[in-house]
Amino acid sequence: MRRRRMTDHPVAGALFVLPFFLVVVAFLVVPLGYAFWLSLSSKSLALGEQFTGFGNYTRAFTDPVLLDGFLRVLVFGAVQVPLMLGIALVGALTLDAVTTRFAIAFRLIAFMPYAVPAVLGALMWGFLYSRTFGPFADLPTAFGGAPADFFSADLLLVSLGNIVTWAWTGYNMIVLYSALQGVPREMYEAALIDGASQVQIAVRVKVPAIRQAIALAAIFSVIGTMQFFVEPYVMSRFAPQISAGYTPNLYAYNQAFAYSDFHYSAAISFALGFVVFVAAYAFVLSTRKRRSS
Amino acid sequence: MLGINRSRTLVSVLTVAGLLAATACGGDSGGSDGGPVRVSVWAWYPEFKGVVDAFNASHDDIQVDWTNVGTGPDQYAKLKTAFTAGTGAPDVAMVEFQQIPTFLILDALVDMGQYGAGADEDLYAEWAWQQATDGDKVFAIPVDGGPMALMYRKDLFDQHRIPVPTTWDEYATAAEKMKAVDPDAYIASFGSDGGWLNGLMWQAGCRPYGYSITEARDKVKIDLTHPDCEKVIEFYGDLVERDLMATDPFFTADAAAALDSGKYWTWAAAGWTPGYVAGSLKNTAGKWAVAPMPQWEKGADEHGDWGGSTFTVTKQADNPEAATVVARELFGKSEEAWDIGLNKAFLYPLVKDVAADPAFTGKAYEFFNGQKVNEIFVPVSEKLGDFDYTPFQDFVFGDLLDRCAEATSGQREWDTVLDATQKNVVDYARKQGFTVE
Amino acid sequence: MTRPATVRTRVPHLLMAAGMLYFLVPLLWIVIAATKNQADLLSSPAMWFGDEFSLFDNLVRLFREDGGVYGDWLLNTAVYSGGSAVGATVLASLAGYGLARFSFWGKRFFETALLGMIMVPATALVLPTYLILSNVGIVNTMWAVILPSLLSPFGTYLVRVYVAESIPVELLDAARLDQASELRIFWQVVVPNIRPVFVTVFLFTLVATWNNYFLPLVMLSDADLFPLTVGLTTWFNTAQQEAGTRVLFDLVVTGALLAIVPLVIAFVLLQRFWRSGAAAGALR
Repeated sequence: MRRRRMTDHPVAGALFVLPFFLVVVAFLVVPLGYAFWLSLSSKSLALGEQFTGFGNYTRAFTDPVLLDGFLRVLVFGAVQVPLMLGIALVGALTLDAVTTRFAIAFRLIAFMPYAVPAVLGALMWGFLYSRTFGPFADLPTAFGGAPADFFSADLLLVSLGNIVTWAWTGYNMIVLYSALQGVPREMYEAALIDGASQVQIAVRVKVPAIRQAIALAAIFSVIGTMQFFVEPYVMSRFAPQISAGYTPNLYAYNQAFAYSDFHYSAAISFALGFVVFVAAYAFVLSTRKRRSS
Repeated sequence: MLGINRSRTLVSVLTVAGLLAATACGGDSGGSDGGPVRVSVWAWYPEFKGVVDAFNASHDDIQVDWTNVGTGPDQYAKLKTAFTAGTGAPDVAMVEFQQIPTFLILDALVDMGQYGAGADEDLYAEWAWQQATDGDKVFAIPVDGGPMALMYRKDLFDQHRIPVPTTWDEYATAAEKMKAVDPDAYIASFGSDGGWLNGLMWQAGCRPYGYSITEARDKVKIDLTHPDCEKVIEFYGDLVERDLMATDPFFTADAAAALDSGKYWTWAAAGWTPGYVAGSLKNTAGKWAVAPMPQWEKGADEHGDWGGSTFTVTKQADNPEAATVVARELFGKSEEAWDIGLNKAFLYPLVKDVAADPAFTGKAYEFFNGQKVNEIFVPVSEKLGDFDYTPFQDFVFGDLLDRCAEATSGQREWDTVLDATQKNVVDYARKQGFTVE
Repeated sequence: MTRPATVRTRVPHLLMAAGMLYFLVPLLWIVIAATKNQADLLSSPAMWFGDEFSLFDNLVRLFREDGGVYGDWLLNTAVYSGGSAVGATVLASLAGYGLARFSFWGKRFFETALLGMIMVPATALVLPTYLILSNVGIVNTMWAVILPSLLSPFGTYLVRVYVAESIPVELLDAARLDQASELRIFWQVVVPNIRPVFVTVFLFTLVATWNNYFLPLVMLSDADLFPLTVGLTTWFNTAQQEAGTRVLFDLVVTGALLAIVPLVIAFVLLQRFWRSGAAAGALR
């Protein structure tokens, strides 16, 4: 028999949710609806406004600048997200197995970058990458190489990836570490007694046990990547290689705030949101399926 | 605005009414009750507070409320959102020359001619007045400009007996000689700056754009592939490819350090640069000098401008007549304002009398080892001719710089930069409903 | 939480040392850089002190520049993030509890939509919100930053999960038998039991608002109303782009350090709440 979990108290329940619901309507539903409405018409500089239906969306999905930016973000995410989560997972497993004071210090320090606002983090790294302020540009010269130009076309994605990795690895590590703390010890007690190594236990027992948490972290990271904006926006002041359409979100920003095309900007945001939404749900479904099979 | 009224009612209902009361005190623009008219101004000039104070002290009927909402693009973004929303713009806004048509086509600017601003024509440098007006219509009041000249390391040029270039050919030769002396040095940096590149093209006789909103709202000329434009990009592209020219963006710490360490030997700079360099470069102070811009043809006397700004009155101004007074008189003939503008903010004045005043032309700069550099900049401003911009100049500069960035990183040949930009800009213009000539 | 503390191998400690270095170096850099004046910043070695120790001089100038506007930014940031965090936490707690322990019309749909809401990119909402708020007349006021920040679907989701795990229905039923009102039950029975997630949601929204850049950038045009992120970026742009006379890199660096310090301290002190919240989020 299923335990009763709910209270039949419809009015009280609805009242508890009402304030939040109102905020959702005012600051999510209405703006979204309004943005969608905007995206259904076009305003050209010379001709003024006219209803174009899904014209902006056809334009978006055939706009080479937008597609380039999208591809760039995909490539970026395909490398950066697994790398970051891999490091975070190794870190979390280490924290779970090692409980020295050193490990606690590591845990605290790894989390610190999350406290740095993204804008200030990007500014800081902009300084750190520069030849004049930063300690890194001259590192290759110690090995006889040429000074590194972190803003060059070749290194730019790596430089940006490093900023994101620096800021978010610790956060993800804490998430995974918390999940590991919830794994019951009984699950690997026997293996420990049988003499299994910590590494074996980590790979065979702990990682599968927190698969859900890893998937969740992955989803949030992917969403974050698709919306990549602040870091390239700030870095463009250091790096001319960051073009107006470097990432889809930067493109949407420039369309609205530099080119005054708020309608197309709204369409880009919607198209992007739609893709993110579909991708995230597909990911959720695929992890669910794997678990049930 | 499409649909804005509908959502407005919705949100009005949903937003707690009490919160609104808190902002009711935010309303401005007095005047009706007999007090002075208050005019709001957005501007990012350095040391501008003193200029505002001077205006307010000398006017009883009009008082200025000044806000610095951000530099250049940041302020423009705010202006554009305010015009889209139909509210939130100031009465008077600082706008750079190349942005005037952009705000004209957004229907954002008031014709100050109807309030008598046409009387100021003789006050300002001709080229500036031409850019600020369209026939009888006065859309902007010029303030400062940036006539260009060549800044160079006099000590290094003298020491290695390299003649100061008077033509661009000689400039390239000087770059080769400099590289032979110091392999780590560069003749200058290709700074990824739309206005700078534009000034160089202007000097080369390139007139890539044409637009007049009073003649035809939807007609624009785009001619970036003209030989006079191509030669500039190809010349600089060649210097970059031969590693004679660096590619640091201007005004970064890296660029400042490079200027201050002997890494860069020259900078094709503007009338406002003396203030910038004197404020930020310490090690090389006294070692620099200014020479007229190298010419494309020997003996020619062609020039360009990099930067400059104006005051405009926006269509959201409550009292455009009073706002026009503010735009005309914040700097205008005000001695106090120009004292601050010249000696603290280091603006290059577009008011002819101020520029020609011996106090300006005769000023010796320690940074340039006592040279009176304005003796070079002032004639340049007098010789500048007409130059037009497009009503979507952000897009043009953005695309041009993106294509240049592709060329500097080896993803594109330099001689295709302007072809690609021309094509992108024409496509964009057509999509925006313009007929392109 | 009992774990064997027996593993003391060299490899994990080396890995952790490398990690510490990676996470710390940028923060150390900004601490060192804040002690330098403009000239030293440009000329002295990046990871060591300059000729002069200018930290205090920088701090004094920081609070004097532009008529002391940095102090306003600091205060604004505290007000915006504090106000949004309190409001969002209250809303999320009420709603999370309501969703977890009551059934009413439209609930299932709302719960499903909640997950979708978490995924809506905040940047896509800013512009339409601006256009709407400007017609209500509250752009360029602190409300334009605080009100949209009250929206925390993730917070609501966290509370919902936590209540479902930690507050048995029987406990509520017992209270109801005592004729307690629903609001009183919430206050006296639910709130004490969900305190950890309460703090977590508070911290999440506090940090989100403290770090927010895009919303205040679009909403505010009055420098006196800026939060730190927008204000410091304005200074940076002035230093970077303006062909003027003010080179403010030293102040930007010092100001950034001062903006980071309070949060870093709060984080280190309150880390266990992050973990409990993160765990709750990870359970589902």
